[in-house]
This record gives sequence, C-alpha cells and structure tokens, in this order.
Amino acid sequence: MSFIEVNEVSKTFRVSKRSAGIPGMLANLVVPKYEKKRAVNNISFSIEQGEMVGFIGPNGAGKSTTIKMLSGILYPDTGSVRVNGYIPYRQRKEYVGSIGVVFGQKSQLQWDLPVIDSFELLKAIYRVPDEVYQKNLKRFMDMLDMSGFINHPVRQLSLGQRMRADIVAALLHSPQIVFFDEPTIGVDVVGKETIRNFICELNAKDKVTMLFTTHDMQDIEKTCKRLIIIDKGSKVYDGLLSGIRDAYGTTRQVDVEFAQDCTVLPIEHVEIKELDFPSGRKKRFLFESREVQIDSLMNSLLADYAIRDLTVSEPEIEGLIRKIYNGEVAQ
Amino acid sequence: MKNDTIHLMGVYTGTIMKSWFQYKVDAVLRSLAVFLREATGIIVIYFTLLKFDTLNGWDIYELLFLFSLLFLTYGVLIIFFTGLRDFGRTVRDGGFDRFILRPRGLLFQLIFSNADWFAAIGHGGLGIVLFVFSAGNVGITWNAGSVIYYITAVIGGVLIQGAIFLFLATLNIYLLETNSLKELFYWNMRKFAGYPISIFHKAIQFCMIYVVPFAFVNYFPAQYLLRKEDMAGYPSVYMYLTPAVGAVLYLVTYGFWRYSLRFYKSSGN
Repeated sequence: MSFIEVNEVSKTFRVSKRSAGIPGMLANLVVPKYEKKRAVNNISFSIEQGEMVGFIGPNGAGKSTTIKMLSGILYPDTGSVRVNGYIPYRQRKEYVGSIGVVFGQKSQLQWDLPVIDSFELLKAIYRVPDEVYQKNLKRFMDMLDMSGFINHPVRQLSLGQRMRADIVAALLHSPQIVFFDEPTIGVDVVGKETIRNFICELNAKDKVTMLFTTHDMQDIEKTCKRLIIIDKGSKVYDGLLSGIRDAYGTTRQVDVEFAQDCTVLPIEHVEIKELDFPSGRKKRFLFESREVQIDSLMNSLLADYAIRDLTVSEPEIEGLIRKIYNGEVAQ
Repeated sequence: MKNDTIHLMGVYTGTIMKSWFQYKVDAVLRSLAVFLREATGIIVIYFTLLKFDTLNGWDIYELLFLFSLLFLTYGVLIIFFTGLRDFGRTVRDGGFDRFILRPRGLLFQLIFSNADWFAAIGHGGLGIVLFVFSAGNVGITWNAGSVIYYITAVIGGVLIQGAIFLFLATLNIYLLETNSLKELFYWNMRKFAGYPISIFHKAIQFCMIYVVPFAFVNYFPAQYLLRKEDMAGYPSVYMYLTPAVGAVLYLVTYGFWRYSLRFYKSSGN
C-alpha cells in the first residue's frame, strides 16, 4: 500500500443559484434554488513516501478541494483517502500532527505580532520538544534567510517575507508530509527561487513527501519529477514531467533566418510561417516528428537555400499544459 | 487536564494579551467605550425607574441586582466564548480550516485562542459596579451558603449563554452567517432579561424560560436570594436549576456541534 492512497474520490458542493438583481434575490429568498457542482469527480492516485509531486490544473479544477480532503478538512462524498495509514477526516487529531499545510493565500501567522511569537505558539500547539524546535528554527531561518525580519510584526512584512515565514510555520513540527497550495503566489523571481531551492532540499535531505499546487510551471519544472494534472474535477494526466513531452509534445519547430529574401516551396506535412513579414528572411517550420524526419528537412533546406541562422526547439511544457487545459489535445 | 494543555492555554492567553497591547491606547479606550455604552443604558433605566416606586414589587436596587448578574455573566462569558461569537467570520475567512489542521480539540482552540478582553472588562466592570452598588441594599444575608449559591449560579448563567453561542456557532456550519439570528435570539431576549420576567406577556415568559432560558441566568437566581412575591407564579424548584440547566444545555449543544462538524464545507480558496 502506498503512502498516500486516493481511491475514486468525489466531492459535490451545493451552490446557491439565483438570477441577477433584486427580483432574483427576492425570488431566491422565497424559493432557494441550488445547483450541484461536482468539484472532484472520481479521482484516484497514489504517492510513495518521499515523492515530490506537482499537482496542477486551471482555476476551479478541484485542486484545493482535493488538498482539503487529503488534509482532513473535508469529508469526501464517496471513495476513500488514506495517508500514512490514517483516514484524515476520521482520525484528525492523530493525523494532522504528521502533516504540514501551506496555503499561499492564507497566512496562519498572528497578524499583529512578531513572526517569532507565532512560531512559539505553534511550538506549544504541536508539542514540539525544545531541542527539535531550536534545531528546525535555526536551520530553516538560515536556508530561507529570515534573520532580518524574525522580530518584525507580520503586518509589516513584504509578501515574499511573509510567505517564507508561513512555510517555516508549517514545518516547525517536522511533518512527514507537506501540502503546498500555491506557495509562490505573488512572490518575486528571487523569492520564488529561494522557496523552490528550499523545497527541493527538504525533499532531498529529509525525504519529506510533498504535493505541490501552483500556477507557475517553472515551480514544477524546478522541483517535481512527477506531475498530476486535473481539470473539471477529473484527472487528465499522471506521470513523469518529461512524459508530457512524449505524450503531447510531438510538434517540432525550426526557425530559419535566410541570407536574403526568398520564397520556400511548399513541403509536405510542414507548415511554414513568416516571422519577419513583409520580408521573407525569417520563417518558421512546424511539423509532427512522426511525419517528417528532422534531418531530411534540414538537409533539403541547407542544400537549396543560403542560411544564416537556424534554431530547433521542442515545445515548452507550459505551452503543452495550456493546450491540455484548453482541450486542444486528445486526452 | 494534561499539563501541556494548561501550558498551551497560557501561551494562547499570552499571545492574545500581546496582540491587544500592540495598541495600548486603543485597548484602554475600547474597554472604557464598552463600559460607558452599557452604563448609559443602565443610567437611562435608572432615572426612568425612579419615577416608579417599584416594578411588580421590585425596587430600584433589586432591579440593579438583577442587571448585575446579566453583566457579570457576560463579562466571564466573553473571556471564554469570543471564539464562538466570531465563529461566522472564522468560517468565512478560512480560519477554521487552520484549526482543523492542528492536533488539538476544535472547541478547545476556538475557546482559548481568542478572548475579547475589552468586552470582558467593560461588561464585567459594569457588573461589579452594579453588584457593589446594589448587593448591600437588597437585604441579602451573605454567608457561606449564599456565596456558594451565587458562584454556581454565575457559572450556570455563563454556561447557558455559552450554549446559546455554541448553538448559533454550529448553525454557521450550515448557514455560513447567523448574526441576525444572534441579534434575534440572544440580544433581544437579553433586553427582556434586564427586568423581572413576571411583568411580561405569558408568551415572552415562556420564551425566557423554555426557549432561550435567560430567566435562569438572572431572574431565578435573584429570586433565590431576594424571595420576591412574584416567584409564586413559577415552580419554586426553578430557583435551584440554573447550574443544571447550564450543564445540560451545554452538553446537548456540544453533541449538536460534534454531529454537525462532518457537514463543514470550508470556504472557497
């Protein structure tokens, strides 16, 4: 049995539905109308101990709902969740001591007090022994470069500082599993890099199991080997990050800069786009790798035209994900 | 209670205090504001009642004694039950999710992580002032028996109102917002509770005894100590029931709370 087992889990919310304006409001007051919204639809997956998994999907796909069921906040309607031998929503008190959750959009720190006061409170709540607390605090503060603001009230922190403090707050009790729900949202490039490195190191050294939700594909590319994509409540991809390219990224792209204006004769299975219109000096060639051999295309181009520069590129993961969200690729 | 539970209660209290004292002037002014707001109400009633000799046999000191129980119990109540008073907001801003993620009892966290000391000082302070002003003038013999009775009655009164808060907080799980219900069932009934219930219509009396049992918070305990004639209209055993009503009501409501938690839906993201 895996460390985290999610088995055919569904969750439906009842959403109040009313027409616009005051008449709609009054009508709703008399006869409330509800709409059922299936946030999570029959999802299954499993995660092994020490894995770091990216969990992505467009807004409203059901990511947060899934994380809330995994962390014991919500009961699933059907299906079962089992983490580290616990059923999160039934054995809440025993279970939550072994997990950490970072909600990027919601701080768990005391707004008016210095960061360190929130940490001391968490130490008491989680019954963290003194030496463990001191060791963790010192280590995380060094890794996230926090000594400059540990005594500042949370309300005075920048978003990046607050996020780092929130990440430490979720880890002081040495959890075995951490759920990150958008831990880089609104953080600048440098801050994001710090957080990503921290997360990678924690996974590599402490073997902490992690599920990582984000909208920034670079977060995923720099931290996770495995990726789960959900859309409209259903799982649409579960596999290696690199597998996305194999599965969906079969389009290749060659950008060519010619020595002078030229017209290229049509080539079978290759789409040609002008990049420097109206001059014909730069063109892009798009084709499917299984239909056209890249070396034969290059050879024929080099033989027939004078070429100044040439770049071959694979599709970017981000572009592929966008295609998956938009339903442009067969799933 | 386990040792570390008491330790955590201490840390919570320290955290609350530190937060309040981030704004020292505001802390003092707000306690004063609560005190004056409530005291103004009492002063208006005081001068109105001076026009009458008695109200259904109750003179002005006896009425103020009745009031003092209401304010004292609220002062104690709000030290422990602020988290339940503000529970609607905690649910809506996702704060309750955070409580669920921590390995401690949910109600324990709600109760000890928040305390409105402004309201406690304001209401409790007024309660003490009214008690001092009235208790010597209403003919109560203060001996061990009556002091013990008084203390258990205050505890019972706190539990009764705590149960009402807990009940309304539990409804939040289903309705998300219950402030108007609190206005209706708590604060409106509390206004009636400032007076001997015998002056009201039977329907209101019924509500005060059996629906939102404010009568057990101050009227019946005051009757035990004052023995006014209008007590003849009610079973005399009611004078002894306050602690029992408090305990039973609180336990039943606690069951309702436990049962309702599984329907908690969390707020959006």
